[in-house]
Amino acid sequence: MKTLSLLLFTLIHVNLFAQNTVTGKVIDHQGVPIMGANVYLKGTYDGTATIENGLFSFETEKQGGQTLIVSSISFETYSKTAEISFFNNVIIKLKDDVNTLDAVTVNAGTFKAGDNAKVTALKPLDIVTTAGALGDFVGALQTLPGTSNVAEDGRLFVRGGDAEETQIFVDGMRVFTPYSPSANNIPSRGRLSPFLFKGITFSTGGYSAEYGQALSSVLLLNSVDEPQEEKTEIAIMSVGVGLGNTQKWNKSSLSLNTSYINLAPYQKLYSDNNKWHKPVESLGGEAVYRYRFNNDGLLKVYGAYSAVNFDLTQEDINEIDGVRFGLKNRNLYVNTSYKDFLEKDWSIATGVSFANDRSDLKFSSANITDIENSAHFKFTLNKYFSSRYKLNFGAEYFITNFTENYNDDTIENEYGFDNTIFSSFIETDIFFSKNLATKIGIRGEYSELLQEFNLSPRISLAYKSGANSQFSLAYGEFFQNPKNEYLKFNYDFTAENTTHLIANYQYVKNKQIFRAEAYYKDYNDLVKYDTPLALPISSYSNSGNGYAKGLDVFWRDNKSIKNTEYWLSYSFLDTERDYKNYPTNATPNFASKHNASIVLKRWIEAWKSQAGLSYNFASGRTFTDPNKGGFLTEQAKNFHSLNFNYAYLISQQKILYFSISNVLGTQNINGYQYANQTNTEGIFDRRTISPAADRFFFVGFFWTISDNKNDNQLDNL
Amino acid sequence: MKTIILIATFIFTLNLTAQTPYEKGMGNAFEIWEQGKNIEAIQMFERIASVETDNWLPSYYAGLIEIIGSFTVKDEALLTTKLTRAKAFLDTASSISEDNPEILVSYALLNTAYIAFDGQKYGMTLSGENNGIYNKAETIAPNNPRVLLSKAEWDMGSAKFFGQSITPFCEDVDRAIVLFKEEKQTIPFYPYNGLDRAVEISANCKKEISPKE
Repeated sequence: MKTLSLLLFTLIHVNLFAQNTVTGKVIDHQGVPIMGANVYLKGTYDGTATIENGLFSFETEKQGGQTLIVSSISFETYSKTAEISFFNNVIIKLKDDVNTLDAVTVNAGTFKAGDNAKVTALKPLDIVTTAGALGDFVGALQTLPGTSNVAEDGRLFVRGGDAEETQIFVDGMRVFTPYSPSANNIPSRGRLSPFLFKGITFSTGGYSAEYGQALSSVLLLNSVDEPQEEKTEIAIMSVGVGLGNTQKWNKSSLSLNTSYINLAPYQKLYSDNNKWHKPVESLGGEAVYRYRFNNDGLLKVYGAYSAVNFDLTQEDINEIDGVRFGLKNRNLYVNTSYKDFLEKDWSIATGVSFANDRSDLKFSSANITDIENSAHFKFTLNKYFSSRYKLNFGAEYFITNFTENYNDDTIENEYGFDNTIFSSFIETDIFFSKNLATKIGIRGEYSELLQEFNLSPRISLAYKSGANSQFSLAYGEFFQNPKNEYLKFNYDFTAENTTHLIANYQYVKNKQIFRAEAYYKDYNDLVKYDTPLALPISSYSNSGNGYAKGLDVFWRDNKSIKNTEYWLSYSFLDTERDYKNYPTNATPNFASKHNASIVLKRWIEAWKSQAGLSYNFASGRTFTDPNKGGFLTEQAKNFHSLNFNYAYLISQQKILYFSISNVLGTQNINGYQYANQTNTEGIFDRRTISPAADRFFFVGFFWTISDNKNDNQLDNL
Repeated sequence: MKTIILIATFIFTLNLTAQTPYEKGMGNAFEIWEQGKNIEAIQMFERIASVETDNWLPSYYAGLIEIIGSFTVKDEALLTTKLTRAKAFLDTASSISEDNPEILVSYALLNTAYIAFDGQKYGMTLSGENNGIYNKAETIAPNNPRVLLSKAEWDMGSAKFFGQSITPFCEDVDRAIVLFKEEKQTIPFYPYNGLDRAVEISANCKKEISPKE
């Protein structure tokens, strides 16, 4: 017994002797004490939390080298290994966690949609539930400031730039022919179905050095990494039918979608001002295969095929019988991307995209066949040094091969070109603090066809000025090769270029966003030619130039009115350019000075319905009146459109959807066509170009069949 | 015989008194949690997790408390900060114990916290994700009463929304009650709880289905 007591005593004694006290204080970068921080020795139960003045103190029996961990919400976790005796009266300064929602974001020029965006101007559902958008992913973006309403075109016109100055990327890879072809004066639609994407970044200027060959804007779409469940989807619409199926396996999944659209029945009921010989008929299919490798690697293969066919006669003031236009287009697009995380915080993203597009056009007596083959290869590496410092660099290679075969009664000719562009970029993201961040990049591009190398620097800076507000600035130079329609006739060009300067102010408070952005764009080396149309015989130069300046304002409020969300956009645009065959500087006819949109959505609980309204306004666009002389000096009347949509959830899996565009039937004017010759009174007659139809109705029934009865196609509309 | 009893008693006593640091730590953490000191409890579990690197329970509880606490948060920045932290805890837990139905259900609860905050923003993507999580959990553990209960609650929410009958899900809850009672509680500190909630929901079910009774 005595021995035991002795032993116990010795043990306790040793224990007492070995006690160490760890003490210190935890503060933030400004020296303010942090209360409630968790302080402990790694791999032990010894630790405590800091008290009001940031102080902590705890006992430990551990000896030798130990790792002290200090963690607190909204701060980066601190860790230091040292002899236990070192941790006595230590002052520990925690760094702000810059990955939080309230940290500054470098956002000049950019709108983001998706769950992960810190500030969401658009929510995922908005892409498909905005009245007037008609399920086109471009439609909802046209309610954001910075875009111009060009109702007869349907594509994105950003800040005084024409539609081809915007490039679209899916998972970082270029989409070469993003829009379905359409006849003159009929808006084209995006080919990509909106439900494939989980995140959208729409940049109206000043974007990252990772993207090039776009003078005005980039639209970045990220596809879904993993479908949520197996399902079959059926759509029966007033304009066609659709069928989709998703299968999931352990590591992979496959989604298939097909759709058949035929406007013949619709046009029988509601005829428009065109004479259709063959109303629009299109057949499309998409497949996405995803495979997840063990170590976070993800491979995605997206393939889409579509065939469109139509034939019509459109009015023309110079041709009594009108002008006949027929088109058969088929388009194949494949996009493969792979991303993976490597060791030591490196990650890789690489991909290949390929497009084959063939159009057979019949234009009066001419037959034209255009074939475009394009490919994009890209490889990027990303190094994550810390949450405050990231580096991204890579190289890409574009190949375009274009041929056109033209023949009519008298001539037969072939035109075309091959071009490759090699580019590389490097860009870094630096957070100096939670309130100040910058992104600096540079991009180099070499075009083989133009035998030219261009260097474009890009820089943006953001400063958080208050709890809810921040300022951003961006500067960048952007180059883009001349369009295919010129390159097929002439190679002796230099790349067109523009410089962007952007200043942005943003105020975000709980479900309310205010954003104002002023910009200046300077265009140089724009293509000019000296004939009424771009022809093989024209003489071409890069002597064009122009500018665009303006102010974009956005306000979104999801808070003030219960069950209702709305946003307002206003854009002021002042632009002139001298390009194409312009005799002088003028405001191009796709640019309207004032553009405004109001979008309203209301969820009506009792009716299980969402009703949406949108109103678009654009001030009149310019046109040339030969009776008055001058060039693009006249202004057409203003554009108005009020749109309505209504989605009724019959049950979790069945939705009835109805939409009508231009409810009020406002008689809008897209422009005028003047006769080539004067009439007997010496006046040029004119024809008003109005939209093919004033209103458009759409009714659809969507049915989802899955194991789980909660899923529906609301995200599919 | 006497000796054996003595030894047995001795061992037993030793066991009681010589609690392992893990048992002591976990017991302590639960005590703090019960007192409503959520932050302290999370910190305690975080510390235990730093020692017990092959045990999913401490990280699981740290994440769970963070999620439960975020349902009352009104500020989106704080909400995402808390839930991002909670997700990191759950990720740690599931890297230790893969395809664990209890952790899967917590992931679904985390998504529900986002949806409850802003259904318009988070509902579309996350409710689909939750359907996927519940289906997966049910496949892995068809007789886990917590999976069954949590899934039934989730399904009830949407059935009520569409004005449909909740009867089939009430039956699931009743089945969960049976499973709760049959469950053998062998692992210390395992989250066996849920019976009380199941009984409560079942009682509400009976009121709603036949309100006269």
